[in-house]
Amino acid sequence: MPGVEGFSPKGMLHEGWSAEVEDYAIVCGWILGGNALLVGDVAGGLYLFEGKSGNPLWQKKEVHKGGLLALSIHPDGDIFATSGQDGRVLIWNSEEGESTNVIELGDGWVEHLRWSPDGRFLAVAFSRKVHVYGIDGHEHWESGEHPSTVSSIAWSKSNELASACYGRVTFFDVVRHEVNQKFEWQGSLVSMALSPDGDVVACGSQDNSVHFWRRSTNEDSEMTGYPGKPSQLSFDQTGTVLATGGSDVVTVWSFEGKGPEGTVPGQLSLHAESISSLAFSNQGMLLASGARDGSVLVWFLKSNGDGDPLGGAFAGELVSAIAWRPDDCALAAVNSKGGINVWNFKMRTKSSPKGF
Amino acid sequence: MTIEQKVPVTILTGFLGSGKTTLLNRILSEEHGKRIAVIENEYGEVGIDQGLVINADEEVFEMSNGCICCTVRGDLIRVLGNLMKRRDKFDYVLVETTGLADPGPVAQTFFMDDEIRNEFSLDGIVTLVDAAHIDQQLGRSDESSEQVAFADVLVLNKTDLVSDESLDILESRLRDMNRMARVVRSKQAEVPIDTVLNLSAFDLDQVLKRRPTFLEPEYPFEWTGVFSLEKGRYGLSLEEGPDPTMSLVVLEDQGIDEAALNAGAESCVRLYADSAELLHPGSTVPIEKHVSLQLQSNGRKSFFLELDNPTHIGLFTQHTAEEFDIKVSRVDTLITTTDSDGKNDALLQPETERTWVAEHEHDDEVGSIAIERIGDVDPEKLNKWLSRLLSEKGVDIFRTKGFISYVGESRRMVFQGVHMLFTAQPDKEWGHEPRHNQLVFIGRNLDENEMCREFDKCLV
Repeated sequence: MPGVEGFSPKGMLHEGWSAEVEDYAIVCGWILGGNALLVGDVAGGLYLFEGKSGNPLWQKKEVHKGGLLALSIHPDGDIFATSGQDGRVLIWNSEEGESTNVIELGDGWVEHLRWSPDGRFLAVAFSRKVHVYGIDGHEHWESGEHPSTVSSIAWSKSNELASACYGRVTFFDVVRHEVNQKFEWQGSLVSMALSPDGDVVACGSQDNSVHFWRRSTNEDSEMTGYPGKPSQLSFDQTGTVLATGGSDVVTVWSFEGKGPEGTVPGQLSLHAESISSLAFSNQGMLLASGARDGSVLVWFLKSNGDGDPLGGAFAGELVSAIAWRPDDCALAAVNSKGGINVWNFKMRTKSSPKGF
Repeated sequence: MTIEQKVPVTILTGFLGSGKTTLLNRILSEEHGKRIAVIENEYGEVGIDQGLVINADEEVFEMSNGCICCTVRGDLIRVLGNLMKRRDKFDYVLVETTGLADPGPVAQTFFMDDEIRNEFSLDGIVTLVDAAHIDQQLGRSDESSEQVAFADVLVLNKTDLVSDESLDILESRLRDMNRMARVVRSKQAEVPIDTVLNLSAFDLDQVLKRRPTFLEPEYPFEWTGVFSLEKGRYGLSLEEGPDPTMSLVVLEDQGIDEAALNAGAESCVRLYADSAELLHPGSTVPIEKHVSLQLQSNGRKSFFLELDNPTHIGLFTQHTAEEFDIKVSRVDTLITTTDSDGKNDALLQPETERTWVAEHEHDDEVGSIAIERIGDVDPEKLNKWLSRLLSEKGVDIFRTKGFISYVGESRRMVFQGVHMLFTAQPDKEWGHEPRHNQLVFIGRNLDENEMCREFDKCLV
């Protein structure tokens, strides 16, 4: 981008390694206990890099004809699943990079994948239905037709799956094959995040708002005023705050007390363009945000939603995905030109007072 | 990051069987060097012969606020959102909608969704019309008339299945419904590709550059016949027609090529603006004068033309020759003046004839209203009126296009709207060009008189 110069990592982000893949990198994640970074590009390329050095371990071309759409890493990190425009889901062995199972769903795009928290099930959204498979690729359950294409899926518990689509959020018990709860609202839900305790459902909506439901009370509310679509949503691990995109400012809603209804959200502004990805650390209140201009920032958040920057770096292009290493000591960001950046994240010590 | 060209998108609409897939295949085979992605909503009998075809069900997403202009097409957002990520980007995207699609949400998707708006530009809406069946379809379904109303280009297809007369009538009906659209006739969707692609129809700047006045002119006359006549006396006879009177202007030295016909038409507009001289049967028709033929009496009626020199006579008639069965014959001998039995061997055929876009109203609910005024407009008054109009009638106003002369503004303001979505931006300097305003509304059940009155109130 003209006028914006790259800068070396600042503050608590430190030089790590960088690499490049062939096309727009859309997904990334740490596997094998955080020892390796897996990256998928839009053309269907899969790449594994050694976590500390960035040395390539293996790579595969065109694993999904037409393109790759989604990646989900199994909780134990030894296997993962991918899906694509070819209507297939592949289950892979992380170490060797060999696909062990193929699930054929038919003619259409498979856009969303999620392993259950206990790793027993893989949920797959395909057109207007959701399917649940075991690790062996055997189908356990399928939902009925949703009113429109399923736009997001998430596990609330190991046997309870939530789906979002136009006008509806549904919770399914995938073992007893029942609908546990349903919320209806006339709006196009483009993203969904569940609070870790499972009570709050947050959905980004096409009409530039975030819609909340509380499962315990069936109450809902709507947060409006976003200049754009809040497609990015991330809860911290305690469920105290929800970070949202939808503009060049990260808007953070706090669920402390009676919030977020009637409260003023935290506004984190340093990015020059719209937020394109958000990720909370695995422990604590550290939020990483990436934007269309290629900037990546790490924030320390307070429980009221306010926050301060801890470090920043410039990845050069639209940041399409961010992933914290399981120990939170490194941060990976992939971008729309296929660039991969891994920065080391170090807590500030008394001996290095040079701050951001 | 570099500023990249937005990928143009053309929407193909039309009823099932109107030839959308045939046109799609023609575009793909002629533009085979280009990377074209096709999003297909309708799975017809004809297959599409190309690699990148994405099937998607139409998903119309209305918003909780109930605002019709926020209604978008979820399937397009999803599919286009993914397509734009590829490094080997597409040169062009074609969207084939089902015959039942409402073009409004399709168009609005390109203005309402910021991610789509950043990467794609809506190039134009092309509606295919099955010449043999559209008459029934227009009567039966709202979708069909809305697809006509939204179009930038109307491809009048399967013209080999209907007579030329029916085609003319149909074309005039379509033009009445949508006066912004260009009408192209074809047999098997064989139209020049440049009439349907790369139109920049939503970039009003471009549209006005290519067609400084994008309105098809409407004339107060429907028909012109040019006759090559010797010196002498001629009869002009008419049957009973739909009206008891008919306006007429006769021009001398009328050429027969397109430019000459247009020039003749324009000078006739001025003559038509003069009050008409009433002319009873048996009278001689003056040259270059607006006359009103009085046709109240029964049976065939005749008028005369006297020519001192051989010339090309242009008859510009208020109604078509067909409606009154207009005949021209040589009557020097003064014997066959009232002969109506068709034996008259002096009957003359026109050297050329032309029908014009009619000004009078048709019965379709969907129609175009054009406002053309000389002078300057008060921006505040205009904005007030337009916001009120669009909030009250936005559901029924499909498209709006035009340019306005704001008082005190040296540049022309261009306007463009889809339902309630409306933008106005300054365009080129007026310079020496006379300041004037041109606005077209296409919609359902619009009150032309009231809209013109309201617009006139905005004039300074």
